[in-house]
Amino acid sequence: MLNFKKIRLMTKLAVYEKKDGKEDIYLSKYYKADYVRLQVLKSIITATIGYGLIIALIVFYRMEYLIKNAVTLDYKLLGTYVLGFYIMTITVFGLGALILYSMKYDASRKKLSRYFRLLKRLEKVYNESSHDS
Amino acid sequence: MLQLLELRERIKNFYQRYDAYLLPVVKFIFAFIAFQAINKEIGYDERLKSLPIILGISLLSAFTPSAVMVLLAAVISVLHVYFISPILSVMIIVILMILYLLFARYTPKYGYVLLAVPILFLLKIPYIIPILLGLISTPVAMIPTSCGVIIYFLFQIIKSAITMQVNISIEDIIQLYTHVIDSLTGNRQMIMTVVIFSLTIMVTYFIRKMSFDYAFEISILAGGLTGILGFLISYLILNQSKQILSMILGTIVSIALVYIIHFFKLTLDYSGVEYAQFEDDVYYYYVKAVPKVTVTVPQVNVKHINVKSTERREFSDPDVDEAEDYGYDE
Repeated sequence: MLNFKKIRLMTKLAVYEKKDGKEDIYLSKYYKADYVRLQVLKSIITATIGYGLIIALIVFYRMEYLIKNAVTLDYKLLGTYVLGFYIMTITVFGLGALILYSMKYDASRKKLSRYFRLLKRLEKVYNESSHDS
Repeated sequence: MLQLLELRERIKNFYQRYDAYLLPVVKFIFAFIAFQAINKEIGYDERLKSLPIILGISLLSAFTPSAVMVLLAAVISVLHVYFISPILSVMIIVILMILYLLFARYTPKYGYVLLAVPILFLLKIPYIIPILLGLISTPVAMIPTSCGVIIYFLFQIIKSAITMQVNISIEDIIQLYTHVIDSLTGNRQMIMTVVIFSLTIMVTYFIRKMSFDYAFEISILAGGLTGILGFLISYLILNQSKQILSMILGTIVSIALVYIIHFFKLTLDYSGVEYAQFEDDVYYYYVKAVPKVTVTVPQVNVKHINVKSTERREFSDPDVDEAEDYGYDE
């Protein structure tokens, strides 16, 4: 026989799993520290690539000047500048990612708690129905 | 107003019923408009302009996530430019990559904004985006909006750069490159547009968050006014007073459009019928979950009937049989 209480619970769970739940459940596989660390690492890597591209654009833009003064250039100063800006960039992006993804993780945890509550209730219904039969 | 509410109710019912088919159709229309606009603006490669190809990619983007549409649009734009000048297309790819890696990747939900801003710029109503985003999202939307603005101006610059390219010696390439970078970084109009759009999003968002009556409607107006004032100042500084009229008209149209969207937002926000599949030990379930309709709008309809009947009662002659008056013919 159909157990409508169970069907209702399962429908709610299935709809959640199909829509918002997909990401939340994926996130729940990580510990918070692991997840945030991974995302910070990813941000730093993409920021590094982006920074590299910007530097490449600037170098190409200043090509003529660079070639003309290739001998007299103060490479030490230049390197310090590039490195300094690089450290600034990855600090900003790393910290930003740290804050952003911790908030995201906490928010998804909150949504998940409702999902787990429903799951627990479903388990209860299951146990009851198996006792009956 | 009442007829509009009824219309909204009807649209809501329609949307609920045909949700599954309606969404691809809407996406198809958007994609078609977007690709047509790209072809009209920078359509250098005739092969990509043929109708079957446009229809094909529009169909493809109708049934895939919105990120695919954005990616396809980017690929097609780059291919068009590549047809004329490979160097410029490489530059576009590099700049788009920088925008993505540093900014756009943090707001994956707003990917479509990157495409929508340039397209709406071409349709002369980009002002709709900041107001709408201030209304339905958070100030985070400033990031994709700014990226969209930069992309639009980038392609404007590319368009002007393509005309000046003559032959392909090294000096020419460097000159071309310097021209593009110069006009991108020195583009005061672009920077001002970014600032004004960000301001508009903030103003709309914070007024919408305030708790007084009609906060939503007032925030739309305030956002529009912020845009008008900002662009007025920027055009006067940049001596481009010719554009003021089209800007004001565009903003008014945008405000009207945002208001219409806001009016139907309840409808569009509404999650339609859900289809869920699951199983237990005994059965497979194929469930169709229909959300219960909200009560507020039917209440308004009830009021409408009362008002009508009391008015009639007041003016009807007591000697006449009232049964005729009560609309049995309806």
